[in-house]
Amino acid sequence: MTVRGTFATSLMELKTEVMLLGSMVRHSLRETVEAFETGDYSRLEEMIELDQTVNELEQEINEGATLLIARQQPVASDLRKIIVMLKISSDLERVGDLAVDMSKAAKRITPSEVLEEHKSALLELAAKADYMMKEVLQAYKECNVLKAQQIAGLDDDVDRAYGDFVKSIFDTAVSKKEDIQQITQMAFISRYIERIADYATNIAEWIIYEVNGQRFDLN
Amino acid sequence: MTPATPKPETITRKQSIIQPEPDTGKPLVFNTKGLNLYYGKTHALKDIHLPIAENEVTAIIGPSGCGKSTYLKALNRMVEMVESVKITGEVLYRDSNIFDRSFKVEELRTRVGMVFQKPNPFPKTIFDNVAYGPRIHGIRDKKTLKQIVEKSLRGAAIWDEVKDRLDENAYSLSGGQQQRICIARCLAIEPDVILMDEPTSALDPKSTMKVEELVQDLKEKYSIVIVTHNMQQAARISDKTAFFLNGEVVEYDATDTIFSNPSDKRTEDYISGRFG
Repeated sequence: MTVRGTFATSLMELKTEVMLLGSMVRHSLRETVEAFETGDYSRLEEMIELDQTVNELEQEINEGATLLIARQQPVASDLRKIIVMLKISSDLERVGDLAVDMSKAAKRITPSEVLEEHKSALLELAAKADYMMKEVLQAYKECNVLKAQQIAGLDDDVDRAYGDFVKSIFDTAVSKKEDIQQITQMAFISRYIERIADYATNIAEWIIYEVNGQRFDLN
Repeated sequence: MTPATPKPETITRKQSIIQPEPDTGKPLVFNTKGLNLYYGKTHALKDIHLPIAENEVTAIIGPSGCGKSTYLKALNRMVEMVESVKITGEVLYRDSNIFDRSFKVEELRTRVGMVFQKPNPFPKTIFDNVAYGPRIHGIRDKKTLKQIVEKSLRGAAIWDEVKDRLDENAYSLSGGQQQRICIARCLAIEPDVILMDEPTSALDPKSTMKVEELVQDLKEKYSIVIVTHNMQQAARISDKTAFFLNGEVVEYDATDTIFSNPSDKRTEDYISGRFG
């Protein structure tokens, strides 16, 4: 054990909480996508409740980090670790919010031809963003800079797919007035997914900062 | 005592990997080049290369026995008061090697003042403490002395606290006030550089803050080198930080860099409190 064993333990515990926050947000995201896929929105209320827990956990992490800074006066990599926890937990909380926004938009979509036409493309986009979230959380756990860089590289893919998707839905021949509502909601959902991928990229940048002390704009 | 003649050509040890260069473009007050110092057989300072820039606060940090106080005392040649000391290499003060035979140590100590860990006022009045240096330098005119004393006490941010009791013994003051009297005494001879050896380690937090604020003000006019055990203090008040370990400079850089992203793992471990 090092001289500052207690501090090291507190740091680890706080990181565990950030990882837990990450798991909760991913769960929320996956549930939303699944509800959209199956059309079963019965669990969406639970999701909104979960968002409350996510917010509380983020708050708890903020308080824990503030106390550690105040009491332990960390410097250098110790300080960066705490700053990064604050940044990542804030990004994760935003992803949680976007998942809730997605569910709300998804609820407004009813089974229709338009939906069937574009559903798989939207699910594919969601799967890409979810993969980025999964991998970036793993990279954070391992402090893996290489992995973080690779994940950030995937963001371009998502951006392209998002652009293609939006173009294709607005090119859809609209036969009914309700279709416009469906298309708008799907455009919203795709936008939320694209933002989630951006947050995953942000998190990747923070991982690099934690390890190297350098900030790169990977977006 | 005759100082050891510098023999830089005799240094066989390879040069430090870190060869700090000033990055501010500011003129240097001191530039240390390949300084080695021995107390008898103990190699206390090993191939030190360190620039000290004008109007900056340079902090020297490191665990006990790392050579930081020895280095500070080398800068005004106080270290030569130790019998067995032997020095090689150069310390340039304004481009002249202070160890050259032609260099006058009295002149050096007039230009380079020192403040110690424990406040050490003379057992004299507050006025006489501050006027001591100027008197030694031959200033006898009372009006001039008064002006110097007031200016120095103001400079040390203690004038308002003592202006009505200049005839009282300096020992009647609190520790923090005594330390600022010592700083005023140092300012009275209008030095170029102020060396501070753990100037706040014997002071309470409030007095410490006052001295720290004072250091910030003083660097407008003086160049300051401060040895401190308190790393947060180094982080708060210095522009550059040098980390000493076992007589070597492990790392020297902008304080911002040292405390946010140091290059050497030993620096990181020390400032994070993992050892020392």
